[in-house]
Amino acid sequence: MDDQGCPRCKTTKYRNPSLKLMVNVCGHTLCESCVDMLFVRGSGNCVQCDTPLRKSNFRVQLFEDPAVDKEVEIRKKVLKIYNKRDFDFSNLREYNDYLERVEEIVYNLTNNLEVEGTKQIMEAYQRENRDIIQKNKAKLTREQEELEELLLLEQQGNEQRRLETLQEEQRQLQAKRKSKQALLDELERSHVPATILLAQHKDRAAQLETQIEKQKQVVKTTIFSTGIPMVFEPRAYCPAPGHGWRIQLRTGVSSSHPGCLQWALPSTGLTPQKQRGAQKYEAVNTNSCLRTQITTLLYIGEGAIDRYGWWSKVRPVCICCYFCMILFSFLLK
Amino acid sequence: MKLNIEGLLVYFPYDYIYPEQYSYMLELKRTLDAKGHGVLEMPSGTGKTISLLSLIVAYQREYPLEVTKLIYCSRTVPEIEKVVEELRKLMEFYSKETGEKNNILALALSSRKNLCVHPEILHANIIVYSYHYLLDPKIADLVSKELSKKSVVVFDEAHNIDNVCIDSMSVNITRRTLDRSQANVETLQNTILKIKETDAAKLKEEYRRLVEGLKEANVARETDIYMSNPVLPDEILQEAVPGSIRTAEHFVGFMKRFLEYLKARLRIHHVVQESAPQFLKDIFEKVCIDRKPLRFCAERLRSLLRTLEIADIADFSAITLISNFATLVSTYSKGFTIIIEPFEDRTPTIANPVLHFSCMDPSIAIKPVFERFQSVIITSGTLSPLDIYPRILDFRPVTVASFTMTLARTCLCPLVVGRGNDQVAMTSKFETREDFAVIRNYGNLLLEMSAIVPDGIVAFFTSYTYMENIVASWYEQGILENVQRNKLIFIETPDAAETSMALEKYQEACENGRGAILLSVARGKVSEGIDFVHHFGRAVIMFGVPYVYTQSRILKARLEYLRDQFQIRENDFLTFDAMRHAAQCVGRAIRGKTDYGLMIFADKRYARADKRGKLPRWIQEHLTDGSLNLTIDETVQLSKHFLRQMAQPFRQEDQLGLSLLTLEQLQSEDMLQKIAQIAHQA
Repeated sequence: MDDQGCPRCKTTKYRNPSLKLMVNVCGHTLCESCVDMLFVRGSGNCVQCDTPLRKSNFRVQLFEDPAVDKEVEIRKKVLKIYNKRDFDFSNLREYNDYLERVEEIVYNLTNNLEVEGTKQIMEAYQRENRDIIQKNKAKLTREQEELEELLLLEQQGNEQRRLETLQEEQRQLQAKRKSKQALLDELERSHVPATILLAQHKDRAAQLETQIEKQKQVVKTTIFSTGIPMVFEPRAYCPAPGHGWRIQLRTGVSSSHPGCLQWALPSTGLTPQKQRGAQKYEAVNTNSCLRTQITTLLYIGEGAIDRYGWWSKVRPVCICCYFCMILFSFLLK
Repeated sequence: MKLNIEGLLVYFPYDYIYPEQYSYMLELKRTLDAKGHGVLEMPSGTGKTISLLSLIVAYQREYPLEVTKLIYCSRTVPEIEKVVEELRKLMEFYSKETGEKNNILALALSSRKNLCVHPEILHANIIVYSYHYLLDPKIADLVSKELSKKSVVVFDEAHNIDNVCIDSMSVNITRRTLDRSQANVETLQNTILKIKETDAAKLKEEYRRLVEGLKEANVARETDIYMSNPVLPDEILQEAVPGSIRTAEHFVGFMKRFLEYLKARLRIHHVVQESAPQFLKDIFEKVCIDRKPLRFCAERLRSLLRTLEIADIADFSAITLISNFATLVSTYSKGFTIIIEPFEDRTPTIANPVLHFSCMDPSIAIKPVFERFQSVIITSGTLSPLDIYPRILDFRPVTVASFTMTLARTCLCPLVVGRGNDQVAMTSKFETREDFAVIRNYGNLLLEMSAIVPDGIVAFFTSYTYMENIVASWYEQGILENVQRNKLIFIETPDAAETSMALEKYQEACENGRGAILLSVARGKVSEGIDFVHHFGRAVIMFGVPYVYTQSRILKARLEYLRDQFQIRENDFLTFDAMRHAAQCVGRAIRGKTDYGLMIFADKRYARADKRGKLPRWIQEHLTDGSLNLTIDETVQLSKHFLRQMAQPFRQEDQLGLSLLTLEQLQSEDMLQKIAQIAHQA
């Protein structure tokens, strides 16, 4: 671009690299100062081809070849009129023929072949298809806006995800540091022998690792492809409805409350209402012990813990919770 | 010998077999039975090629309808030649054993002089060629179009396959390319004008064909579904060329506009990064070029060149590149990024604008392969960690296995040297690269090794600039002089002729006298292709951890993409890449079971679990806790002990029964049990 000179004041371009080149409708270039000089005298004729010009028709040159600039200008004007799209035609062949006609028009206008005839064709087309042109114009602006919105959303989404992963990593680092510090504190203060403390610490570290691994695997999707949002309900062990009620002796099933006898009850066997109640208040994690469930309820404030309704909101998961519940219900009655 | 692998009769052309070869063939057979894909890691120098060939040929003979073709893809021409040698031996064995003439046809496509075998491909049973014929979309269309679905594809030495996929779909455009394209377009224009005067009928005929929507080169297809061109998805292939580029003049005008737009884009003063959709939007605003005509660019150009009967297509390589770029940018909206740099990072004063259109997703190029062919096997000596490949290439393998070497005597000795004798940590970390003490420690390590290791030593550095810096420092400190008293020193340079000369002289020096040291770079030509068997490589020293240049924008974009799409952390991926190169370098020294070698990892970071865990299993199992974080003195002691042990005579009878088996030994019960333990499912 820098090696092009203004055809009039040839030297000025090399000496002044900040000078801009302007191009006009006849496809010839002039530098900015020459343009001003040309119109100071009032006459507006191109230096090379002597066509009459107007100052407003000068545009800053974007491309190295001024012919391309000219073509792009003409094309934009033509496309404002010929703005039909592929769904306006019944089959692909017709659309392609239409496209070819448009190209012919642009080609003729750029190379100054049959300018008059082409202009007449354009005017005739404009008159015939006025309303389609309007409709398509509106549609185009709408589509462009939608596209920009989508792009913006995507960018925002990306930013958010990046921030989230950064925060997640920070949190993990902090958790690790805290557990190390906790170990040191324990070693310093507690009376339990060091080997047991170390073993405990290792366990906890392993748990943390598995948690991190699980989190990494989870890909958070919130919306189905049709647009229906997904509601994620954490479901505890739930056998098929109609299942008989029985206690299952399975040791080590629920790991929440230390000291709780580790027997689990199948949930659906008890009462259907209980099941539905638990479904409504999905914020309460029905996997954990009764005590935790009640504290969660209190914390969330899901309705008052009234005397008769509260046991519809929680579900006992182990046998000691069940006994506790029976005890409480007696007490509250 | 004749083997029975789960009911399949396999002819193996040698009298002895390694247990891991048997194990490998077993896993391979199971993968073929399941008609799925597999990732298998087997250490180098254990006869992988012959195991693959003998099993698949036997499978082909047994079930000729299930497996019609074997497509063996390799990286370089010497490797292809090796494969053909093994195949010949196998065929001779077959004809000797069965007494009948075998009618297996094998074709090898190596270089330009051996091309043009199109009809023969349809009848061949085994085809051997380079990766690019299957992965690069521009070439795959021409060569591999008619390969049937029921074929087995084997990618050998496939540890770098993701980089090959990415390179085949990436385009770099410089100012020079655009200028040459401009010249091409003008030539085209002039040719069109000339032809219009002399023989306008040709252009009219082409025009008519494009209007009708007929495709070029409609050869009657006898075979079934062929491999589609990943550049254009199937539906688009069947569509007609859009009307805006039907006539030759319109198309030439279109290309001119596109070129001007690219030139304008390259005239920037700061770095720009954008995605393909953004680029398309911008191009539509500036020059009113739509997405659909861009897609058909490559095809239209090909058709035009054919109609104008241009004899010298190579002249038009610049415009072909641009049209390929146009097609790629308009076809894929995800997985690509455009980075425009006004100058290179290392030379900020020289204006050298470049447009990098880089693919960030290797699965795009290889997806058609996984979908079309029923069994694809990816195998190499260094594929660890094995689970990363299915993730980044986006496929579900039925077999993921890693094999170890059964050794009668431990012929490899990996050691991690972390400290010098002055307890200063040795590392190639960026912050410590200029540290005098670190460089001196590295020099001492090399000096001590050169005193005790016989014959050849190969040393790998992380980059050319780092190697030059260190060697200059060593020269000033006088270390090089001391080393030269023990051995000669040869060095690899970016120049290919100098490197091959250095290599030749190095090999000569190892044959006579006390041997030599070859200083080379971890991602250079030496580490990729050259084997250092027996006395050519008794010790390999890896100075530092060979990370890529982490400040490159393309790399950063790729890491971001991997994190978003595949949830692979950046650190993990960089470490994985560095360790696979380190393992490749270090694996150069061992090319067989009678070969032995020291593997010295000279960086304290190798002792860490995350890096150690990414070494292949066959190296990891010999890396004991006692060989981590050694000082130079301890290293020297261990090496001396190892070398003296290895220097004892080792005959084949010592190996029999342990690492080398005859047919009877193979069939004994406890041997079969041991074999079952060799394959470690990842």
